[in-house]
Amino acid sequence: MHKKQTRDILLFILGGVVLYFLSGMVDELRVYQGASIAVYVIAISSIILLTGYSGQVSLGHGALMAVGAYAAAVARIELHVPIILCFAIAVLAAAIGGALLGAAAARLSGPYLAGTTLALAIGLPSLANQFSLLGGEQGLLFDVGFPPLSLGADFTQYKWFFWIAALAALISMWVIKNILSSRYGRTWRAIRGNEVAAQLSGINIARSKILAFTISAGIAGLAGALLSMTIGTVSPSAFPLALSFSLLTGAVLSGITTLGGAMIGAVVLVAIPEVADAVANRIGSSERVTTNLPGLLVSALLILTVLFVPNGPVEQHRARKARKLTLKK
Amino acid sequence: MDFLNTFLIGITAGAIYALMAISMVLVWRSTRVVNFAQAGMALLSTYFGFEAVSKLGSFWIALPVAMVGGALFAALVEMILIRLLVKHSSTGPIAGVAPIIATLGLLGVIRATAAMIWGGQDVRIVGPVSNDGYSINGTTLVFSPLKLLILVTVLVLMLILSLVFQKTNIGLALRASAYAPEIAKLSGIKVDWVRTLGWALAGAAGAVAGMFQTVNGNGTLSPDSIEFSLLLVSGFIAAVIGGLDSLIGAVIGGLVLGLMISFVLMYVSSGLFFIAPFVILLTVLFVRPQGIFGAKAARRA
Repeated sequence: MHKKQTRDILLFILGGVVLYFLSGMVDELRVYQGASIAVYVIAISSIILLTGYSGQVSLGHGALMAVGAYAAAVARIELHVPIILCFAIAVLAAAIGGALLGAAAARLSGPYLAGTTLALAIGLPSLANQFSLLGGEQGLLFDVGFPPLSLGADFTQYKWFFWIAALAALISMWVIKNILSSRYGRTWRAIRGNEVAAQLSGINIARSKILAFTISAGIAGLAGALLSMTIGTVSPSAFPLALSFSLLTGAVLSGITTLGGAMIGAVVLVAIPEVADAVANRIGSSERVTTNLPGLLVSALLILTVLFVPNGPVEQHRARKARKLTLKK
Repeated sequence: MDFLNTFLIGITAGAIYALMAISMVLVWRSTRVVNFAQAGMALLSTYFGFEAVSKLGSFWIALPVAMVGGALFAALVEMILIRLLVKHSSTGPIAGVAPIIATLGLLGVIRATAAMIWGGQDVRIVGPVSNDGYSINGTTLVFSPLKLLILVTVLVLMLILSLVFQKTNIGLALRASAYAPEIAKLSGIKVDWVRTLGWALAGAAGAVAGMFQTVNGNGTLSPDSIEFSLLLVSGFIAAVIGGLDSLIGAVIGGLVLGLMISFVLMYVSSGLFFIAPFVILLTVLFVRPQGIFGAKAARRA
């Protein structure tokens, strides 16, 4: 066990080094996309933790991301706290929101929970228009500042975003991985497998579910703050219902129980608009088609995945290998 | 007068939500799927209705066209998507969320496709009667012939549906398949077809809701409009408030929701447009997690 942990830490460090060299080799657009991928990795892994492990559905993670983003921006603007503290505040604020939502969620199951979180995803961002502190439709500026001079003069802003996001992604993946293989992760899996059996073996179902929601929301809040860092502003329109949906899509594409697969979903989500653009240009279609093609592709992909690779590509591959092995025996 | 106006606006909107909720309940009862694409299907049917209006010129021809189109599309969705879903994704950790994800995907596909075909044009449906308010003793009510028509039509449809469910063999088959599919199958009911029928009925009901939502609003319906978002959320919330299983619950849920939203907007703040349904939903679910008319889940152990 100890050996495995050292291996994991080494893997994460290696991942960091690879990212370091990669970010030096590609152009600005790719660096920016890299930052987006890192943000999506974090957001998707929060869904994987919640849905894949604790068995709860949330269509409202876009709203929780908004909570984190607004908390970070307000802390930055009103209290001038240092940037790293802003991210911590984002996690905390979203986690509190998640705990409240989780307390309601623990009483609900399946479709009821999905619908409640759906209503939240639609309702919450519009609430920002009610308070002048939150800047209304225009939103707030969220500026993490220029990269430190010590990194060199040609170190661009996007590269700085990418670094922050990638570091946050690596750290949160590591934290989630450890949570999932801890007592809590096992508890959640037990509940997902059979709620009654879990209860009979002494698990406090409501408390574990709320805990899962809280942790997942905190991670989503971090992703929200990072997302608004890359955009530069926090506004209701940055967190539409479509965001919540695409996170779920990303999680399903990754394999709802495969934390390591979060990368797959994130890359696909970032790549789809570009692919759609290329396709639209090739067939030379009107603007109507071009703007809606990404949405169509994401949705179609979602349906196809759920029908034909329901547990994700990684899990599917593993299952196929296992089947071959038993056949050989 | 404000009070009366608020009440009348709320009850009309509520009747439309009730129709939407009924279609959610029909789908839930026939296949145990909460169809998040229901509003998308209503949107598509409304576009069918729009095409009929612009070709044939009459709302009264367009409405049945939308209903038939909606029913056929819904039946198709059940026969292809839902049957595949049951076959492939009913085991493993994905099983609980697979229907939710699949119908959300369908919603996305419908929205994007509709926006590709009809987006950007002036899609406008004019109601069959005037939406100018009646006036009593010189003061004008917001209640118009159109709103009256909507209320009456919705009431009639609900009556027909409940008669079908209670008095006909088809209704018996629908209820039996929802209650105990295995036993229904054994007693000779073609459960698969009954499920398709449930979806088709839901598609038709949703089509009416979509058409009325359009003419009751500003005459247009687009995937990005507030009217559409309301249809999406409110139908679901109304169904859940009512308990997902009960047609009467859906009707009452829809009316309660319509009235509450109307009063909150009038007397609290008009900025609470989208957050009000959420608060109402949470309040109801906190008191009764299974909805007002929902049956309590049986003990599982």
